[in-house]
Amino acid sequence: MRIAVLLSAGRHPVSGAAVLPRLEAQAIRIAAGLGTPVGLHAGPDAAAVADALGQGLSRIAHVALPEGADPVPVLAASLRAMAPDLVLAGRRGQGGDESGIVPYALAAALGLPLIADVVAVAPGEAAGTLRLDQSLGRGALRRVVVRGPVVATVHPDAPAPLAYAFGQARRGVIEPVAAIVPAGPAAAPAAVEERPYRRRPKLVKGAPTGGSAAERLKAATGEAGAAASGRLLVDPDPDEAAREILAYLRGIGVLAPPSPRPNP
Amino acid sequence: MTRPRRDPRAERAAIQVAAGPRPRFDRSARAAGGRPRRDPRPERAGQRVPGASRPRYDLSQVVPAQALRGEVAVAAEARQPAAAKILVVEDPAFLVAVVPDAAGGRLSPHDRQVLGAARVLAGREGGILVVSVGPCEACGPAGADRHLALGEVGTDPDERAARVAAALAVASPRHVLFPESLDGGDLARRVAVRMGVPLFDNAEVVAAGGLVRPARGRRVEQRAAPGLLASVAPDAVADYAGPPREARPLAHDLPPAAEPASTILSVARIPADPATVPLSLAEFVASAGNGIRDLDTFRQLVAALHATPGASRVLCDAGLMPRHTQVGASGTVLAATCYFALGISGAPQHLQGVAGCEHVVAVNTDLHAAMIERAGLAIVQDAQAVMPALLRLLAREKQEAGEGS
Repeated sequence: MRIAVLLSAGRHPVSGAAVLPRLEAQAIRIAAGLGTPVGLHAGPDAAAVADALGQGLSRIAHVALPEGADPVPVLAASLRAMAPDLVLAGRRGQGGDESGIVPYALAAALGLPLIADVVAVAPGEAAGTLRLDQSLGRGALRRVVVRGPVVATVHPDAPAPLAYAFGQARRGVIEPVAAIVPAGPAAAPAAVEERPYRRRPKLVKGAPTGGSAAERLKAATGEAGAAASGRLLVDPDPDEAAREILAYLRGIGVLAPPSPRPNP
Repeated sequence: MTRPRRDPRAERAAIQVAAGPRPRFDRSARAAGGRPRRDPRPERAGQRVPGASRPRYDLSQVVPAQALRGEVAVAAEARQPAAAKILVVEDPAFLVAVVPDAAGGRLSPHDRQVLGAARVLAGREGGILVVSVGPCEACGPAGADRHLALGEVGTDPDERAARVAAALAVASPRHVLFPESLDGGDLARRVAVRMGVPLFDNAEVVAAGGLVRPARGRRVEQRAAPGLLASVAPDAVADYAGPPREARPLAHDLPPAAEPASTILSVARIPADPATVPLSLAEFVASAGNGIRDLDTFRQLVAALHATPGASRVLCDAGLMPRHTQVGASGTVLAATCYFALGISGAPQHLQGVAGCEHVVAVNTDLHAAMIERAGLAIVQDAQAVMPALLRLLAREKQEAGEGS
């Protein structure tokens, strides 16, 4: 199976140093379980993604692009030439605009289906199909069977990345690839104003709109809501207590009601 | 202009109560003639709007003091909060569309926040249009003026995006807002690529003057005037809090989508297995503390309740429960909907781990334990006695359900 992993020049969330985004390292791990993946990076400098060689890639194709140019036409042309069965990318970039739009634009340019937020990929039962597990949050999954080729983005709940291997990073090669199509013109600077980030007060759940500071404090410490109107049973009969607990759990919907089993 | 002269003796004689050897007077009766004396405190209390969290007064109404004293019959409904009137925007100046996730036909809390954000953009004269794929109930109380329900589509997200994009092209709203959730963010990007319009994603501040989103690992924030497409971050904007709106259903005559055959062969939902899901992702956690001696019964109970097992620090330190089940500051901070604490008194470090849980059920022998104070349902009883009772009750229900089928 031919697999391409899209690599981006990320920034570390704390130090700001150039680093391979964790999501892409996780994508490499998913791809390494299926075949021999090839990295693909479009950008001014390939050194930014050299870490990916130590995470399990043996080869990275690098398309030189000027800073700020639109990578989608170049990546689409390179992927058409490679014709992979699976293209993996992180769900968001890291350290840039973090809009997560590139995989979608790429899938539209290639005319491929896109499956978002994947945590596991396996070959399907029929030939030429792939079975992808999409994360729905809270551990729930959606299992999608697709006839390839397909573009998939990786969710943070995917298995942790492989350990960095220094020898592998030394042996791996970065191949410069000439851009097949001219780089698109640099995206017109949108009317976006940038300022240093300012943290905003978090919305306190359960606090009434327009309420006082005391009410927000109560809501934040859990003294409002369910706890404020809490029921207290002192020394009930254990069976009575059990009935109360089950009724409460069913009332808030975490326990299924006792329904008769469906007839076979 | 002379006032009639008062005769105090006659007034006193008039209010004398007849019975009894000692003279008694009924001073509660109002003095005959003259203006009744005002009592500002009950008048003020009568103007208080019931139900509001902060004291709010409706100064337009003057409740006469006699009414407050019960001398004049007041219509009962006058004191009740009036049934909220449905607000109708007959001819909105422009539309702000909201595309909610609406999983299962119900708005999620995040969808409600997006509707609140849409009201900020719509202001007084704009209208909010909810474009839902499939049915969506209770849009009106959440703040929608119009509701366009598209027919259910198949499992292909591209097909869904095509339907939404077609509906938006017909409705031509000024702004379109999506929730930045897993499915909502996916749909927003598909629609943006399909329409060829930039998407302002993950907006944390929504105001008519501009949207703000974090970028570069939250080092900078980007501010731009509201464009056509935007998605709203979770827990960033407050819900709509005004009176309910009409959510007038709109008819649509969209041509059936002429999409190429989908390459998605099958889609199946796999629910999370509570026994193996990580504690930080679990929805329902049942936790054991030092008040539990019989851990086998606890494990049976956890399996019967379909909960994820947790434990306090004491049990993990003693090696009775695995370390990865520890709840609290040095263990896992939960994001569960419900936390069921058995025999846990609630040390502050443990309560930190539970702070995000919406509902807490506690069973403990100590009436004054912090966990009993925190719980929505608190039971002061030995957890060792309650656990077998719960198991018996669950087994009986299962048996009855089995016989009923």
